[in-house]
Amino acid sequence: MGDRLNKLASKLLNGSGGSRRARLIPVGGGKGGVGKSFIVANLAASLARLGHRVVAVDGDLEGPNLHTCVGVPKPRASLADFVAQREEDLGKLILDTPIPNLQLIAATDGNLATPQPTQSRRVRLMRELRELDTDFVFFDLGAGTHAAVMDYFMIGDEGVIVIAPEPTSVENAYGFIRAAFYRRLRLAMASHDMRKIVTLAMDQRNDRGIRTPLELLREIQTLDPTEGTRFVETMRAFHPRLIINDVRTADDIKLGFSIQSVCRKFFGIEAEYLGYVNHDESARRSVRARRPLIDVYPRSDAAIYISRIARKLLANGAAGESQEGSM
Amino acid sequence: MKSISEQNHYEILETHPAATREEVERAYRLALATYTDDSLAGYSVFAEGDAAAIRERVEMAYRVLCDSRMRSEYDATLEIEPEEELPPAEPSAPLVPIENTFGESPVPLHKDEFTHLDDGTGDFDGERLKHFRIRCGMEIEDIARVTKISPTYLGFIEEERFADLPDSVYVRGFVAAYANCVGLEGKGVAASYMKRFDKGDEDRRKGRFFESR
Repeated sequence: MGDRLNKLASKLLNGSGGSRRARLIPVGGGKGGVGKSFIVANLAASLARLGHRVVAVDGDLEGPNLHTCVGVPKPRASLADFVAQREEDLGKLILDTPIPNLQLIAATDGNLATPQPTQSRRVRLMRELRELDTDFVFFDLGAGTHAAVMDYFMIGDEGVIVIAPEPTSVENAYGFIRAAFYRRLRLAMASHDMRKIVTLAMDQRNDRGIRTPLELLREIQTLDPTEGTRFVETMRAFHPRLIINDVRTADDIKLGFSIQSVCRKFFGIEAEYLGYVNHDESARRSVRARRPLIDVYPRSDAAIYISRIARKLLANGAAGESQEGSM
Repeated sequence: MKSISEQNHYEILETHPAATREEVERAYRLALATYTDDSLAGYSVFAEGDAAAIRERVEMAYRVLCDSRMRSEYDATLEIEPEEELPPAEPSAPLVPIENTFGESPVPLHKDEFTHLDDGTGDFDGERLKHFRIRCGMEIEDIARVTKISPTYLGFIEEERFADLPDSVYVRGFVAAYANCVGLEGKGVAASYMKRFDKGDEDRRKGRFFESR
């Protein structure tokens, strides 16, 4: 409790409360069409309803649609302005939504020729995201495992992966988890040689026959024990969080636990199953109404499941905070 | 980080040494579903023979852990091991809240993540029981297998088809067994459910007059 008091005190001293860093939650999933934007819009709206200030950021410059999910039909500012260096202050791109406490940074009207930001711009973006004056920042990533997407996924330790219970989505989710993990790992390795081995392992047809992070770990442990320890630390700190969307059967729900098990046994990665959202016709109706489900059908099944996940995010955050305080 | 061949029975089933019979049962069923050759969660990760190898270990683990005598013998052989496994490199892992330097209890980031969404207290109806069952990833047949209660009755309990259920003494036992099976406190849940049952039963007796042709 002590650190909560401290926080309160620093909030009061600083007046605005801006001293507290926002929690940054990137949401990816590898595959398009699994409901990332739907989940982001509704998790964000849920937390906003609980009284937290939330900014939902559309990171999908090539296929923006988060604005539609949160009920902002024609955004008058967009992340594209930041990418094109027309606007330097990310805060100025924040738009209000019809939902109190929920704001948006849209990604519409990008430059069709060069939609993606340059490397240096990306770094800048990530820094600015962290400094937004709010409680939560949700970052809706585009599909795929492009380097930019993976970088964004890594900015928070709280990356969420949305999966639909179908082979295409599950396959891509594993691809996503692998890409994220290897990328992080390569950054963690101090030695140039070990970094090279990680890069090599990222090629899934590598001639050393390294197929999984666990096998890579064995390889590195024998070559360089110190880097091996660093590897294990990176592995332990990496907790992708899973949401299964559009669940229809008990088997679909079990899928989350099964993926967790496969991640543990084959990758040595401890994924966290945040929850599932069941298939619900009102979800589709809400998208058609271009409003978050939480807003139009707050009592629908799917809305209830999403708000449970939101509450779980809150609880996890509280755990993380008390830990920061204890270190 | 242990490879599959180094894992003990509990690790293979991804459960813990204090697991109840039901937990072992649940873990086993999940493992079976996960490690079929073409499981949705696994097929794209497994290489030839991977799933079969794990299944074999899972069966072996289950055979030991579901038999209380074999299990206690096995536990005795494990006794020394857990100490050896844990320590290396632990202190620097920031996301594993094993210690909390404040006197408060750390938030349990444990397997049963889902139980704190619904704390399992308060009133129970068939619908809520069903929610718990689905959350455990169990089918009615799974519960029937463990409790030895007919799946038809279990279904009636969920649907609250009181008229089709046997006498209340039996139903109370059924509901308690069902509740235990999905990780709830059987007695309390049964008491709450039976209030509904008794009321429904009364309504039914009243209604019978109109129903009879």
